Amino acid sequence: MGDQTARAEEFEKKAEKKLSGWGLFSSKYEDAADLFDKAGNCFKLAKSYVNGGGMDLGSGLLPYGFEVLGDRAGATYIKLANCHLKLESKHEAAQAYVDAAHCYKKTSINEAISCLEKAVHLFCDIGRLNMAARYFKEIAELYESKQNIEKAIEFFEKAADFFQNEEVTTSANQCKQKVAQFAAQLEHYQKAIEIYELIARQSLNNNLLKYGVKGHLLNAGICQLCKGDVVAITNALERYQDLDPTFSGTREYKLLADIAASIDEEDVAKFTDVVKEFDSMTPLDSWKTTLLLRVKEKLKAKELEEDDLT
Amino acid sequence: MSEVFEGYERQYCELSANLSRKCNSAAILSDQEQKQQKLSEIKTGIDEADVLIRKMDLEARSLQPSVKVVLLAKLREYKSDLNQLKKEFKRVTSPNANQAAREELLEYGNADALSPLLLSTSPRRLLRNLAHNLKKELYLAEGLRVNDTVVNILVVMAMALAKASAGQRERLAMSVERLNESSERITESRRTILETEELGISILQDLHQQRETLLHSHKKLHGVDDAIDKSKKVLTAMSRRMTKHKWIVGSIIGALIVAVILILYFKLFQS
Repeated sequence: MGDQTARAEEFEKKAEKKLSGWGLFSSKYEDAADLFDKAGNCFKLAKSYVNGGGMDLGSGLLPYGFEVLGDRAGATYIKLANCHLKLESKHEAAQAYVDAAHCYKKTSINEAISCLEKAVHLFCDIGRLNMAARYFKEIAELYESKQNIEKAIEFFEKAADFFQNEEVTTSANQCKQKVAQFAAQLEHYQKAIEIYELIARQSLNNNLLKYGVKGHLLNAGICQLCKGDVVAITNALERYQDLDPTFSGTREYKLLADIAASIDEEDVAKFTDVVKEFDSMTPLDSWKTTLLLRVKEKLKAKELEEDDLT
Repeated sequence: MSEVFEGYERQYCELSANLSRKCNSAAILSDQEQKQQKLSEIKTGIDEADVLIRKMDLEARSLQPSVKVVLLAKLREYKSDLNQLKKEFKRVTSPNANQAAREELLEYGNADALSPLLLSTSPRRLLRNLAHNLKKELYLAEGLRVNDTVVNILVVMAMALAKASAGQRERLAMSVERLNESSERITESRRTILETEELGISILQDLHQQRETLLHSHKKLHGVDDAIDKSKKVLTAMSRRMTKHKWIVGSIIGALIVAVILILYFKLFQS
């Protein structure tokens, strides 16, 4: 709606005037901040109206207007944050940065990330580590969507550390799981294995989480298989059995044992059969499929190698 | 002549000893194949023994009467011995035949349960039972010579059996199909159960997270409670200080006003 944009621009102009002007009492920053807030709100509304109601606009025009408004909203919020910083209310500033980042998320992810980083710094200064950790996680997810996996890992680790400090173990575990997932994708198998085993050990004690343990052990086992060290695999399987006595009865354990056996025998057909059987019961997700495919490639390569030598 | 007879006699003695040993061992055996093998061996042995005894008989009759009597007596002994062996053989084989018969009977019984329509006619059942009995008897009495009527009965019985077995095959196919269907359904339900289990696991994880959030906010609320108490104290202190200040300022103003009035008074009344 056009009038929202107009209102927003009006608010912004007033706020700028206040800032540049010379307030009698030093309440100018507060007033300016208030006006900026209203302006940002209107921009957001305008954007959402453009999004929802303006589909009959020319499709060429729509994204441009959308992005421009999103940028303007983000910019307004950044100015708001600056005001708050001058007012020494870091909490408000950080909140404003977070709002800015949310606006930028749709348009330019880099800007969003930079805003969030500033917000996180402020939260750390204040001491609200919980919120800092949550926003670290958001940053990491943004990096993940951009497929920048190393930075994503870095931020997920930071988030996990902060969550651990705040004793919020579930979120910490979730972040760590993501770290392990990405590490395995980047072939840092040892790290992934350690993380999964740690999570499994922690989950055992908890009544609610103990049913997820076999999932974690399966993931750890698959990483072990990717490493390709047969002795380590058998040791690991024994260790997992010690950890969790019920693990040996599960289908996951059977899958791991069968795959280990097929690697021993270097029989690709058996491997495929075993995996197909498991897949028919519960479909394998893409991460597991990628890793198992890697194992299969290794196995085939070994087989071909043997054929070349003999 | 008697040498020939003696020769037959010796052969027969060996054979009968052999046969009795085989009968005993066959009775102990539980493996069906080996048992059948042994039993067939015993059967051939018994046939040979029969032939020998007939030869001995002829020999004995062709001899002179004095010797004939003695030999015939011996022959009678040997015949009774052979009959014993035959009875033993029957005893050993008859449990087998019973088992085979019981299986057939039970099968027929199952078939009855599955599709009574096919076998509801009683003459058919009678025929089947008749065939079944005849088969048993023939198997036991295989040493005897079969005659034509028996062969005819055998043929009729075979036809009846063939019809019954065709119906049986149909029923078998149906039951196999039903079993396959049920096993498929079982795998489907297993798959659903596994999916539900996964879903349950993720729900439990969410619950755990929510539990932690709740505990966290509970702690925070306690903190807030303490903070509110402190702030209440601070505010009351502030308000007390304010009233104190107000009184002090008020009293100072009062004192100043009194002083001003006194000065004016003295000034006005002194001059």
